[in-house]
Amino acid sequence: MGESALAAFGSKALEDFNNAGRCSRFIWRGLTGSFKNLFSARYYQLTWNQMNIIGVRSVPVIMVTGAFVGMTLAIQAYDQLAFMGLEERLGVLINISVVKELGPVLAAVMLAGRIGGALTAELGTMKVTEQIEAIRSMGTNPIRYLVAPRVMACLLLTPFLIIYADLLGIMGGFFVSVLQLGVNSGAYWSYSASGVEFWDLSIGVIKGFFFGGAIASISCYKGFHCREGAEGVGQACTEAFVASFISILALNFAMGLIFKAIYNTFWPLRVLL
Amino acid sequence: MADKNAIPKNREWNPDFVGIGVFIIICLMSKANQNQQDVSDETQQVCKDDGIIVMKNITKRFDHLLVLDNVSLAIEAGKTTVVIGPSGCGKTVLIKHMIALLRPSSGEIYFKGDRIDNLSENQLSKIRTSYGFLFQGGALFDSLNVKENILFPVKQHYKVTNHSGSDDLVKMKLAMVGMDGFQNYYPDKLSGGQKKRVALARAIALNPEVILYDEPTTGLDPIRADIINELILKLKSGLGHTSVVVTHDMKSAYKVGDRIIMLHHGKIIADGTAEHIKNHPHPKVQQFINGEVSEDDLAVLRMSGSDLRSQFLPRDFEE
Ligand SMILES: Nc1ncnc2c1ncn2[C@@H]1O[C@H](COP(=O)(O)OP(=O)(O)OP(=O)(O)O)[C@@H](O)[C@H]1O
Ligand SMILES: [Mg+2]
Repeated sequence: MGESALAAFGSKALEDFNNAGRCSRFIWRGLTGSFKNLFSARYYQLTWNQMNIIGVRSVPVIMVTGAFVGMTLAIQAYDQLAFMGLEERLGVLINISVVKELGPVLAAVMLAGRIGGALTAELGTMKVTEQIEAIRSMGTNPIRYLVAPRVMACLLLTPFLIIYADLLGIMGGFFVSVLQLGVNSGAYWSYSASGVEFWDLSIGVIKGFFFGGAIASISCYKGFHCREGAEGVGQACTEAFVASFISILALNFAMGLIFKAIYNTFWPLRVLL
Repeated sequence: MADKNAIPKNREWNPDFVGIGVFIIICLMSKANQNQQDVSDETQQVCKDDGIIVMKNITKRFDHLLVLDNVSLAIEAGKTTVVIGPSGCGKTVLIKHMIALLRPSSGEIYFKGDRIDNLSENQLSKIRTSYGFLFQGGALFDSLNVKENILFPVKQHYKVTNHSGSDDLVKMKLAMVGMDGFQNYYPDKLSGGQKKRVALARAIALNPEVILYDEPTTGLDPIRADIINELILKLKSGLGHTSVVVTHDMKSAYKVGDRIIMLHHGKIIADGTAEHIKNHPHPKVQQFINGEVSEDDLAVLRMSGSDLRSQFLPRDFEE
């Protein structure tokens, strides 16, 4: 009994290990494929199409996400700060949170739902109707034809989408604070401007680069390895969303650590500039 | 205490005896099976230069399901080889190995004398341009229209500058399968048979040396089916294409096949000309080509009793 449970655990662990290995190899091939596509004009059109589908059409939902984040933060934080008589500092709090953490993460989660699901379903359907095999049978590399343009589009556009989310978050926070809660507008901005640095904004945007890459490659991987049938495609979509979400959170944590270390190292040197 | 020890001991011994017994029985059975197979198996020994495509001792398993069992086969250049066999016997799996879309669990595949089953996908891409593959379900790209589907392989391997020339190419290939005029349709607007014909046009777009057809006539009306047969014959006589045709349609098999191979339980049980197949002694072959139900299948139908209903009424589904 004990032995068989151990064996089951072992084989499960081995399988997970295998999957993780397969997935990393797939991601690696997707990234190198995107890089190679940069030097081949034949793929520009494909990448451009994907950028339209992935990027341009996500702008509205991303803006709505950002706006609500900013507005909600203003409402939640106001009472606490007003209690301490610090309501004019509301701007710093909202804008730092939006730009550094909430904007990038929630925008990425939104994208994982919006494009991750679509990518997985599209590629999964192509897999089960043998279209991916058909691409292979005609001597074309499906990674470069299907995966690389999507990964590239996500990599390039997620940072921009995050800037949109940030912008609307800042505006949402401003309107609620100033118009509804009656914070002094001049004080709000001057505190915000002194509290939020270019460094904070760049962190958010750099995060977007990684989030975009993770969402696209995980979703494509799930689509490429989905099981037969409508149920297989549905399950692949669910798995893709969950995996993207978890990796967004994990990447966010890891990058938080890394950026903090970088900041602490280079902060003293800033004086020299 | 002593009693309790004695019982497990017995239990420890019993499985071993059973195991040995089972082992002996399996040995005997496999011996018997081997003898039987020696009679029915028409697999021949092949060497890598025997044909344009050579499969040597191919075994394919999916997890524990054995689909191809030590199959050896040489496809002769310029000839049409037909593969027949009951549904689910591994015909599609066999034909996908010929272009290395599937890799064998063991064995070797050669194309023009060069081994291809161990090449990487990138190394294979050049070789695959010598092939045309018609998928059983068509596998048209549903984000592209008919014209773009047919131009896909062309655009992937050549730089298309002459657009009227490419239009002419599409028109010609579509006319060959009787689909000219459908250039701007998307696959979801086509019927099953129409999709198949467009897929066939795409498979021959690059004028490949070897064309692999997975059930080209299934789902077509008899006249269309015969036009496809004529097309296969014409491609062979005109440009000397090598074809491998998987089919259930015996009429088509006799018409286009220079050689017919029957697959059963992962083995080649018959291999020869149409005449050889028609007069084959193996009962499975006779049953298949004549489309007869075996006694066993009939027994199953009879077993389901006298009230075998062919129609259900709405009340049958009410609680
Ligand atoms: N990718 C796969 N994974 C697991 N099993 C598979 C796979 N492809 C095929 N099989 C199994 O291999 C067997 C043979 O399948 P195959 O598609 O070759 O049949 P077929 O002879 O083409 O049948 P049909 O005439 O109905 O098309 C089937 O039992 C199928 O379940
Ligand atoms: Mg088949």
